[in-house]
Amino acid sequence: MTFRLTCPVCGKRDVYEFTFGGQERGPRPEQEELSAEDHFRWMQFRMIPCEPQEEWWYHAQGCGVWFRTTRDPGTNLEVEGDGDGDE
Amino acid sequence: MTVKPSFNWLRLRRLWRPAPVRRHYDVVIIGGGIHGLATAYYLARAHGIRDVAVLESHYIGFGGSGRNTAIVRANQRTPENVRLYDEGLKLWRTLTDELDFNLMFFNCGTLMLGHSEAAVDGYRMLASTHNLLGVKSEVLDPLQCAELIPGLDISDRPAFPIQAGLYHPPGGVVRHDAVVWGLAKGAAAHGVHIHQGCEVQGIDTDGSRVTGVRTSLGTIRCNRLGIMAGGYSTAVAAMVGIELPIHPLTIQAMVTHPLKPFLHHVFSSGAYHVYANQTLKGEIATGAHMDPQVNYTNDATAYYLKHQAEALVDLMPVLRGVRFMRIWAGLADMTPDMAPIMEGHLRYDDLYLDAGWGYFGFKSGPVAGKYMADYMATGERPEILEAFQLKRFLEGRYSGETAAVMKYGHWD
Repeated sequence: MTFRLTCPVCGKRDVYEFTFGGQERGPRPEQEELSAEDHFRWMQFRMIPCEPQEEWWYHAQGCGVWFRTTRDPGTNLEVEGDGDGDE
Repeated sequence: MTVKPSFNWLRLRRLWRPAPVRRHYDVVIIGGGIHGLATAYYLARAHGIRDVAVLESHYIGFGGSGRNTAIVRANQRTPENVRLYDEGLKLWRTLTDELDFNLMFFNCGTLMLGHSEAAVDGYRMLASTHNLLGVKSEVLDPLQCAELIPGLDISDRPAFPIQAGLYHPPGGVVRHDAVVWGLAKGAAAHGVHIHQGCEVQGIDTDGSRVTGVRTSLGTIRCNRLGIMAGGYSTAVAAMVGIELPIHPLTIQAMVTHPLKPFLHHVFSSGAYHVYANQTLKGEIATGAHMDPQVNYTNDATAYYLKHQAEALVDLMPVLRGVRFMRIWAGLADMTPDMAPIMEGHLRYDDLYLDAGWGYFGFKSGPVAGKYMADYMATGERPEILEAFQLKRFLEGRYSGETAAVMKYGHWD
């Protein structure tokens, strides 16, 4: 079953038009005093519970906008009205 | 004289029987797939640890164990991986005897197709590595590829013409359901409890110890806990706040309607994202791309059905007009270096993890179970697992399974 995502510019579009940008994880940690281990951890380690998470998506085959949305990895679907007002 | 037919052989006999849930086990394993069942089996058979429960949220083999394309091979890139998969490949014959259950190992050999000069160079390097380690592999030219698999188009017509093949005779296919059932039978015969429909909802800890799991069948206490939940391992680890360098991604597979036997080897192509083999029923079982977004579903999509049809027909024009009957998806737990994580004493003294197998979880199942059982029984890491520690990701020491750290999408 395919699904659609809500692009803030184009509206609901097929997921295969988009590129997944990963979890929203706040700002990149300051490079100064960042140990190699912490840097590796930040780059690669993820907590992925089976519950809605805020994510980045890129409308690669559409308008080219980067946006955030809330999606549930347990169902693949967007969760309505829980984002930051993008939808 | 009339011979009375005997119908005793028709009497259905259960391979194993469900047992009542005990409130405490020495070892609890989360995940009733091949890895979890094999670990339980070897704990009981090789170490005499029989107070073991395998918890499965759906039915055994629901996850990747029953959704893969059943291909087995040992032609990995790095010596430490080749060694592990080579031993795994040899285990199928042993296990068929040991479990007294036909795992239907069809030793047909695998052919990986290369479509560029870089791929041909890579295959030469792979073949050298394999031969050095005593694993059979050889580089074939396109004509030799077509002799093995007559349906392949070795002309210049395809979008990616075939330049060479890496033939790996020890590989083949194994009936994946039979492996699940055989291991369940073997484990249960040694006293292991298998609880289906038992969903883990939380993990209890006390200081440096794991004390048990909260499940849909109540709380079950344990001395040692193994997370072997395949694609769901990240979600289970998150229950105790453990982050992992694993992305669970769906990968799709499909079968065509049955055809007369014509494809006598497994073939695969990285450029086309295709791997295919003909099942004993005659279907072409073929696998495809991964979906890019992390998820825990088993959703299949028409998008890849179309891709797969185009790719297969370009490689093998005789398949034009053949129809797909069925499509499904399963989860692959992808690590950045395409090598697994087998770890003990993970944050807690008694917590063990066997995950991150990505595409390779099926062929490695029994051998991973064997060594995870050694690890869990003794508390000491077997030498062969040295290369698969979690800490390599924190030290920037990646396994060389891929030339570069994997990108599953345009992130990281």
